[in-house]
Amino acid sequence: MTHVDTVQEFHYRLPQRSASARPGAHPGSSLGSGQEFVSHMSLYDRPDPRRLDLRASLRSTTGDWLVRVNRQRVGVTVQALVDVSASMDFGAQRRKLDLAADFVESLAHSAFRVGDALGLRAFDHAERIDLTVPATLSRGLAGVMADSLRRCDTAPGGIEGLEDVVQQMGGRESLVFIVSDFHWPLDRLGVVLDLLAHAFVVPVVLWDRAETEPPRSDAIAALRDAETAARRTLLLRPRLRSQWRDAVATRRGELDALFTAHDVRPFWMTGHFDADAMSDYFLEAAA
Amino acid sequence: MTLSGFDFAQPWALLLLPLAALPLLRRRGDSLVFPTLAWLPDDRLGRLMGFVGRALAVLAIASTVLALAGPGTPETTVMRTGRGAEIMILMDRSRSMDAKMKPSDWRSIDPHSLLHQMDSRGQPKSEAARDLLSAFVERRPDDRFALMFFSAGPMHVVPFTQHDAVVQAGIRAGGMGRGLSDTHVGRALVAAIETFEQRAYTGSRIILLVTDGGAHLDEPTRKRIREGLKANRVALHWLYLRTLNAPELGAEASAPPPAAEGDSMEAIEARNVYHAQESVPEVSLHRFFMSLPVTYRLYQADNPDDLAKAVAEVGRQQNFPLDFDERIPRQDHSRAVFAVAALCCALLLIHRSLLLRSWL
Repeated sequence: MTHVDTVQEFHYRLPQRSASARPGAHPGSSLGSGQEFVSHMSLYDRPDPRRLDLRASLRSTTGDWLVRVNRQRVGVTVQALVDVSASMDFGAQRRKLDLAADFVESLAHSAFRVGDALGLRAFDHAERIDLTVPATLSRGLAGVMADSLRRCDTAPGGIEGLEDVVQQMGGRESLVFIVSDFHWPLDRLGVVLDLLAHAFVVPVVLWDRAETEPPRSDAIAALRDAETAARRTLLLRPRLRSQWRDAVATRRGELDALFTAHDVRPFWMTGHFDADAMSDYFLEAAA
Repeated sequence: MTLSGFDFAQPWALLLLPLAALPLLRRRGDSLVFPTLAWLPDDRLGRLMGFVGRALAVLAIASTVLALAGPGTPETTVMRTGRGAEIMILMDRSRSMDAKMKPSDWRSIDPHSLLHQMDSRGQPKSEAARDLLSAFVERRPDDRFALMFFSAGPMHVVPFTQHDAVVQAGIRAGGMGRGLSDTHVGRALVAAIETFEQRAYTGSRIILLVTDGGAHLDEPTRKRIREGLKANRVALHWLYLRTLNAPELGAEASAPPPAAEGDSMEAIEARNVYHAQESVPEVSLHRFFMSLPVTYRLYQADNPDDLAKAVAEVGRQQNFPLDFDERIPRQDHSRAVFAVAALCCALLLIHRSLLLRSWL
């Protein structure tokens, strides 16, 4: 079992307001103690004399005592939906599932830092109840979640698993990571994204370098599909390599187009998890 | 186990043949896992390579099993009809055969310089004889020849065979080096006769004695020769290569013993002359041959032309059809099948070395 020596953390802020009562770090829709000014209210309506705004009260034409009302930053619920199907068991150096575990571990630390509750749901062809962790604020769950992912047995899966998971979710989560390699037909993915419209969705597209980049040497490659066990033999040669790269680029384009249509920006993760890249992703999203 | 001209030495090994289906079973280890084949191009060449790899593996196992079973064509006998005879060429290898013959135009040469002319222009007897015999063998592809050289003792060179190339090579080999010291016709004849023993009589048999000198044979040898020739029904042809000044085996030598009886001076004189001639080895041998109960012919040759005529005469004499069975032994083809298996294995190794073993 390979552990990342020091867990990288990333910083994230939701670009949209979340309806949550719990104080936290994200822009919320609830009023309370925050920096963000919303409006003035009458002291009678909101009896909070600490925030009495004398200057505004003097200017008031009604003669009311006005109290400043601020927006409170909120803590949200974060859900990580992790694909543990057989294709995630692949990787030249590290399995994609290990990378997913790295990411979840990093996410757990990051979420704890900003005071968000984190839940984990895994799926292959259906939801994997054994791996489910309900959304909690517990700090110690990072290692537990990561280890359970690293140790789990994979089984052939598909988009049905993701559909299953999304339908089971309560609709109270504000940030949803979908960690998968998205090796499934894309026509049903749009429906899933629609179901998650209330949340900020980050598809983490996890590919291995051996998947995207054909081997450099000419060889006969006898391949077996991880999900369907179908077989295909390829004779690797320059023409085939360019076809391979073209196919990867086409797939990337398809995914990009689909996500853009749903106002979602995918996070591409190939080979290793880079926490700084994830921070940048959220900075760009919030900008 | 026989299948129309095809059989197996160990047919039980064919029970292993189902093993050839093993490469068709798909194992997990022989392919690399890939997350999704959907985005990889469909490669016809690659599919062909995969098929070739499996086919080679099947073929390698199948041919190994087949080779272990020992395929071959069973033993057969073929009836062959040859014209002519079984001819044992018994050739003198003694040093006297290295002497030269008279040139063809010897009649036009001054007798005083004949010796000198012979020395400079003549062809060695053995060489002339070899050339002609080799032409003789070549002209008669249907005959079976055996070749034996002799000097002090007989030297078996080629047993009876229809493969002329071997006989030709044997005749050529007679030209190696110089002749040997002695001429022992008796032992050679006995050995030549022995080669006919234990052989089925399939047609006329000839011993073609090629020599330039005679010998006095003692009585036991004469008896063995006489009985051997008679028992095996072997005709004897003597190609006598006459050296200059050697006795001519003419009418005088061939004459029967004089009928002169009694003690009269004339009769004694006639007998003495006859027996005096007997002391010449050639005459003695000729007379003994004439006394044999089998066909005997003498061909005298002074020069290569005479020799050619004599050889042609032998050819004319022996032209009877000859039936014999040739046994073709069982031929084992397992080596070829093993070669196929080895080739498949080699190709399989190449295929395997080209195989992508890991993603790293």
